Amino acid sequence: MSKQHKDKAREFLQNDSYATWHDQTFWGVRAKRDTMAGNLPEWETLREKASQIKRHTLSHLDRYLDEFSRNAERNGAVVHWASDAAEFNETVLGILKGHGVRKMVKSKSMLTEECEMNPFLEAHGIEVVETDLGERIIQLGRQKPSHIVMPAIHLNHDDVGELFEREGISHEKGNHDPVFLTQQARLSLRHEFLSAGAGMTGANFGVASTGDVVVCTNEGNADMSTSCPKLHIVAMGLEKLVPDYDCLAVFQRLLARSGTGQPTTTYTSHFRKARPGAAPMHIILVDNGRSTWLSDPEHWECLKCIRCGACMNTCPVYRRSGGYSYSYFIPGPIGVNLGMLRSPKEHAGNVAACTLCQSCQEVCPVKVNLAGQIYRWRQQLPAFGKANPTKRVLSDGMKMVFSHPLLYKTATGVLKPFHSRFKKLEK
Amino acid sequence: MKVALFIPCYVDALSPDVGTASWKLLRHLGVDVSYPENQTCCGQPMANGGFERKAIPLARKFEERFKGYDYVVTPSVSCPAFIKEHYPHLLGESHTCEAAEHTVDIVTFLHDILKVHEPLGRFPYRVSLHNSCHGVRVLGLSAPSEKNIQPYNKMADLLSLVEGIEVVEPERKDECCGFGGFFSMEERAVSKRMGTDKLRRHINTGAQYVTGPDASCLMHLKGIARGMGADIKFKHIVEILSAGL
Amino acid sequence: MSTREEILARCRSSIRERYAMPSLDDINPITWDDPVKQFRQALENAGGKAVEVPSGSDLGEVIKGLFPQAVSFAGNPGEIPAVNIDPDTVEDVSRMESLDVGIVRGETGVAENACVWVPQTMKEKAMCFICEHLVILLPKSRIVNNMHEAYRRISFTGYGYGCFISGPSKTADIAQVLVMGAQAARSLTVLLLPE
Repeated sequence: MSKQHKDKAREFLQNDSYATWHDQTFWGVRAKRDTMAGNLPEWETLREKASQIKRHTLSHLDRYLDEFSRNAERNGAVVHWASDAAEFNETVLGILKGHGVRKMVKSKSMLTEECEMNPFLEAHGIEVVETDLGERIIQLGRQKPSHIVMPAIHLNHDDVGELFEREGISHEKGNHDPVFLTQQARLSLRHEFLSAGAGMTGANFGVASTGDVVVCTNEGNADMSTSCPKLHIVAMGLEKLVPDYDCLAVFQRLLARSGTGQPTTTYTSHFRKARPGAAPMHIILVDNGRSTWLSDPEHWECLKCIRCGACMNTCPVYRRSGGYSYSYFIPGPIGVNLGMLRSPKEHAGNVAACTLCQSCQEVCPVKVNLAGQIYRWRQQLPAFGKANPTKRVLSDGMKMVFSHPLLYKTATGVLKPFHSRFKKLEK
Repeated sequence: MKVALFIPCYVDALSPDVGTASWKLLRHLGVDVSYPENQTCCGQPMANGGFERKAIPLARKFEERFKGYDYVVTPSVSCPAFIKEHYPHLLGESHTCEAAEHTVDIVTFLHDILKVHEPLGRFPYRVSLHNSCHGVRVLGLSAPSEKNIQPYNKMADLLSLVEGIEVVEPERKDECCGFGGFFSMEERAVSKRMGTDKLRRHINTGAQYVTGPDASCLMHLKGIARGMGADIKFKHIVEILSAGL
Repeated sequence: MSTREEILARCRSSIRERYAMPSLDDINPITWDDPVKQFRQALENAGGKAVEVPSGSDLGEVIKGLFPQAVSFAGNPGEIPAVNIDPDTVEDVSRMESLDVGIVRGETGVAENACVWVPQTMKEKAMCFICEHLVILLPKSRIVNNMHEAYRRISFTGYGYGCFISGPSKTADIAQVLVMGAQAARSLTVLLLPE
């Protein structure tokens, strides 16, 4: 059996100074988020509206998908639909082959991570270059993201410096200054942007009423990825839709404030069509389980998530166990829940990684009841054959003792409990 | 107003002084309080561990035992939080859930229902306030640090009625201490780390005591303090409110 | 059945209860007595710089004065004097690889977060990102309070692209150290124009 969260967490905590840094770094992001929330008197109203808009949109997803795809097509985009990861990967490959593309630059997308697109394309001879600096670092290091917004947070500047030296990106041995290293990555990626045959972006939002694909970045890499190559492919999960600009304003205001503690990302880019002289923009709408999860009465609201990462930043367990302690590629409270939707058998070990402190659902900008859902998943474990036998025996024992006051009194008698002192007290 | 005192299993067995202090305090305030016989557990530990169904017989017994009271008052926050959140669906929708409606933690009872304003006991120490998660985020004993709402703290309000006390809060005032019931057994390493971090922040306030509304958090921190050899003491909030009465 | 129809059918059969769209009229978003002042502050926080341009100034001179070392300037030549690279006619994006200054018009500024809406007005939008320094021209009167107001105003040209830009390109991906100039412009200057 593979290691459970608790085992990996124990290993994570053995490096005390790193564990302390990890906790403090993410608490720092949480604190910046608190400042942002505190600066807006309408903060709690925004969260409530965001939650209601998402409920509305998800419960009319058929209608909004239809509206979005028609408007995107009217704008000149080609809209593809993919039922699962395999169909998505094949679609991307087909588009790239059709245009004779050998190299693709891409901005950050958790969806392509979910579909394991990069290894698939690489196996078919296509070079994929991540352009978000954090994603690029872990791609070079052949690792997976340890956080959805700050994917390379588990590496320090020495790790990155050595990696860049090994990969020929930095030629000044021993210079591990983050400013210098960022500059080296910039130079190296410039070359990639200008030599790639295609650029792929994810999507933070799809606007049904206009067909806009909206991508939020701080680095400008989504814009670079789509301004240089002659082909733009968008990978978008079904749940990314918002009805219109009035709704988008609500989410745009919440996303960066919640995720990184900024009032906005540097770039909020709206794509309606391809750049002049380029092939049409291709949008791939990916289901991969989402339309089925909609029917889950207890867990469908996970689809409201806008991937800001605030729940991991505040989670006291995530901060003290790191992204790699979770079995699913998305860690923290939302990852525990999404992992269970994906495969309870594979990811049941993560549901223990929660004290039910509920901080996650108080920071969540779209009010997903993350802890409440983890509680529900725990109840469902026996149905998946994943109940912890020790906890079951203990719970049976407790039920037995607590259901029989006499037994309870006998069991606790030696401790001089309150109930045995009460007679005296009453006098 | 007829009030029943509910002393949850872990308080009864491991922190009986908290039961005694609750009784004394309520009597001192002139509350018509009784302590019904044969109480045990509300069922929270097994439910949080994933065995909610095993809590159903306990919920039924709880309903029977505490019928006919205006309030069921308890010196705990995670038990009343559990009862309020989960008894209604555990006991079925057709059932009017009296317990969920009438059960109230002792801080809310004193602050919102009795509206205690008169001076209470004397406790001439610096005390660091432990804002237990379920007290804050389920029962609303203080404004959660995540929210942009007017700050308030019902526990601090009550403690201000105690003579000689100086109440402080640790940095990260409502971060979890890492107890979490079964969590502390299953995720032992993370639980211990959380507890250690939390305890350090309490110690850094320069306080001689840590107080809070739930004996389970305090018990967890006490265990950590013992392991560290830390010189800080723990009192449930009712023990401080009733000190010297 | 096509994948499109399959997915839509699955959605329809999965949806159990249809929730109403909430009213957004009661958000009461934040406003400022002096949105221009707030915009300047927010831009500074985002790592950018606002420069007020007195009426009657020669824009070309103002921009050259801000970047005395710069050699190459790009922008729409009809509107902005003194540019020597035209993003409408440049034959390839790579010709702008070492561009010093890109100059573009902004349509709407947002006080709460220093976003400026920049609709694409040139053939190669790469100019806005590939340049070392970006200059956005923005009439002061076009600054609104918040994103709700902004999203009611923005427009597109036939190019079908637009971007809210707030400050220079940045990253904190290496050890959480904030560095300006990740993949796109290293600096952003917003020239606040009189009417």
